[in-house]
Amino acid sequence: MSEEVKKSKHELDPNSAKAKLNKIIVDHYAGVQAAKDRGEKIGWCASNFPQEIFQTLGIKVCYPENQAAAIAARGAGQRMCEIAESDGYSNDICAYARISLAYMKVKDAPEQNMPQPDFLLCCNNICNCMIKWYENIAKELNIPLILIDIPFNPDYEVSDAQVAYVKGQFLAAIKQLEEITGKKWSDEKFKEVMAISNRTSRAWLEATSYTKYQPSPLNGFDLLNHMAVAVCARGTIEAAEAFETLTREYKKAVEEGTSTFRAEEKYRIMFEGIACWPHLRTTATGLKSRGINMVATIYADAFGFIYNDFDGLIKAYCNVPNAMNLEHARDVRKAIVKKTNAEGLLVHTNRSCKLWSGFMYEMSRQIGEDCNVPVISFDGDQADPRNFSEAQYDTRVQGLMEIMETNKGGK
Amino acid sequence: MEKINQLLEEFRNIAENPSKQLEKFLKQGKKVIACAPVYTPEEIIHSMGLIPMGVWGADMEIKEAKSYFPAFICSIAQSILEQGQKGYFDGISAIVIPSLCDSLKCLGENWKYAVPNIPFIPMTYPQNRKNEVGIEFTKASYKRVIKDLERITGQKFSEESLAKSNKIYNEHNEVMRQISDVLVDYPFITASQRNDIFKSAYLMEKENHTSLVKSLIEELKKMPKEENKKIKVITSGILADSKNLLEIFEENNLQIVGDDIAHESRQYRVDIKNDGNALDGLALKFSEMDNCSVLFDVDKKRADYIVNMAKVKNAAGVLMIMTKFCDPEEFDYAIIKKACEEAKIPCIPIEVDRQMVNYEQAKTIVQTFVENI
Ligand code: SF4
Ligand code: SF4
Repeated sequence: MSEEVKKSKHELDPNSAKAKLNKIIVDHYAGVQAAKDRGEKIGWCASNFPQEIFQTLGIKVCYPENQAAAIAARGAGQRMCEIAESDGYSNDICAYARISLAYMKVKDAPEQNMPQPDFLLCCNNICNCMIKWYENIAKELNIPLILIDIPFNPDYEVSDAQVAYVKGQFLAAIKQLEEITGKKWSDEKFKEVMAISNRTSRAWLEATSYTKYQPSPLNGFDLLNHMAVAVCARGTIEAAEAFETLTREYKKAVEEGTSTFRAEEKYRIMFEGIACWPHLRTTATGLKSRGINMVATIYADAFGFIYNDFDGLIKAYCNVPNAMNLEHARDVRKAIVKKTNAEGLLVHTNRSCKLWSGFMYEMSRQIGEDCNVPVISFDGDQADPRNFSEAQYDTRVQGLMEIMETNKGGK
Repeated sequence: MEKINQLLEEFRNIAENPSKQLEKFLKQGKKVIACAPVYTPEEIIHSMGLIPMGVWGADMEIKEAKSYFPAFICSIAQSILEQGQKGYFDGISAIVIPSLCDSLKCLGENWKYAVPNIPFIPMTYPQNRKNEVGIEFTKASYKRVIKDLERITGQKFSEESLAKSNKIYNEHNEVMRQISDVLVDYPFITASQRNDIFKSAYLMEKENHTSLVKSLIEELKKMPKEENKKIKVITSGILADSKNLLEIFEENNLQIVGDDIAHESRQYRVDIKNDGNALDGLALKFSEMDNCSVLFDVDKKRADYIVNMAKVKNAAGVLMIMTKFCDPEEFDYAIIKKACEEAKIPCIPIEVDRQMVNYEQAKTIVQTFVENI
């Protein structure tokens, strides 16, 4: 689950949100590398691992999912996947995992390098595939792995039993990390980190909410890029400020009637799933050329962790998109479709992600019926370029557009 | 010998006719609960006077499930749903689906809409299952299953009754471990017959299965051990019940002398300690389970477990029966392969799929393995 930030081709205003967001990513990788060079222990971390833990401890980590997305977006998905496959990994395995396992082995990918880990932080609230992937790295590199297990919740609400279980692991993880790194936990600092995280999340949610305007001041694909910051820097003031800047820019754009969607916004859709990073341009162009703007994505909400206290924090991590049952996940999406006035739903059936795609047919059917919007899906993959057909994508998007067009005529 | 053949015939009849078994139970007025892979707390179901019946899908073409699952979900999950949609389970009171892999999570969610006439009962296991909070969570999940079962079937749960069922299950575990060992000395029993013994366990009341297996062990022990000319192998994977595949093993003179198959021996490795509260005992059992692709295994002990089994059993190689699209197994394979290489034990992956009709590739792989020994 993640994204990349493109290198700016031309000079950006350093006070612009985009420049700030780009800088956070660059600084993030540099920061982890610097810590490693200083001899500190650094980790590889799952995108949805409670970052409050290591932020509080002052420990630096980097994110294999972000890295895999960046590598795939920069054209090396297949090369890396094939390295993993030559080690016996099936090409049916999530491509992020394959890229990451390949990177662990070759330790170099000019598309996006990062330091090697001294420990691993895994959280399976997005998938159990994550557990297997991190187990293998831990074994191959012979380094400790801390797992916070957040089981898929078959019920609508998070149970007390689940909160107690996750809380227990949270505390155990702190202890383990203290032992590994020699750093000390501080409740004061924890409060501070929670406050910043909430501020960042609120700013992120607010910025992403601007797609509700018609026309939207942003091309929804922008969010897929900015998400990397929501993943890796949620607990930092810089991220909060960058998203606040982004919000101001969107506000201004609404007032001035401008948009980063460089076409006339004729149709508004929700895009379901992770981007096809290797084919980002093709997928974006297929929409833009038809005047289709993506104004809704579950990602916007996925990284907005708002909570008031420790229990709230635990629950927030139990309620990430891939940990919720069908009804809950459906209702969250329905609210997004309604809020943004999306007129159609384009579903990426992502070969990498069994959990995300495994009950999406039924869920998207229900969303389509309940919100009265057409649903069309296409086959793709977030990082393995081989699992996408441009022709199929184009036909499907055209089909979706035609139904939306008919619906408009009828309205 | 006649008695042995009779028993083997009985195992086969049951293994091959799950519908008949279901019908029989329903006719007796019993309520049946379907139990999806990989681990279901059957003891609880049994203790409530219900019949737990394992459902691991079937070799069939997937049609209706296609409107719920994309093609890249394993055929075990797909065919369980397909069977549900086609009415194979009609008459069953509920299905328990543990969410130990991503595809099983999806099976539960899809089930609610694809098979609305059979209620779905989720079983959520912790992956950090060994510490106190993990054990508590297992217990809480069991309690939730009990509540659902009570509501749906009207049957009641009691600790005393669970304690009895725990004993019955422990005894069954024991005979299943025994039979796997005993069969090593009787190579005339085919891979397919061995599978019937394991498969029928899911379709019978455990006490009855125990006594059948016990009889078989007794009868076998009366026979002189024959000279073993077969090639000894270990199997590993989620499921290895395809008759076509097992026939290929036969044709190539292979004998399964031990297995790490989820559908077979993985079920029977750990017993319940019956010294305290019965539900605690059951939760503790789960906490002690290991060496399985769907259970968090930070040290990847499973790889050593397999290597060790191959050595102890003097096996010529390990056959990895890879269910297509099963990512837990696919991740483990890379590590197991390496461990086997280091131990100089041939490790042969054979991809299987419940929709497979052409076994030529499997045949070639097995033949090549045999030629290279
Ligand atoms: S399986 Fe899905 S959720 Fe898990 S890492 Fe891959 S893409 Fe992300
Ligand atoms: S075969 Fe593998 S993927 Fe399929 S249900 Fe079993 S464990 Fe899950």
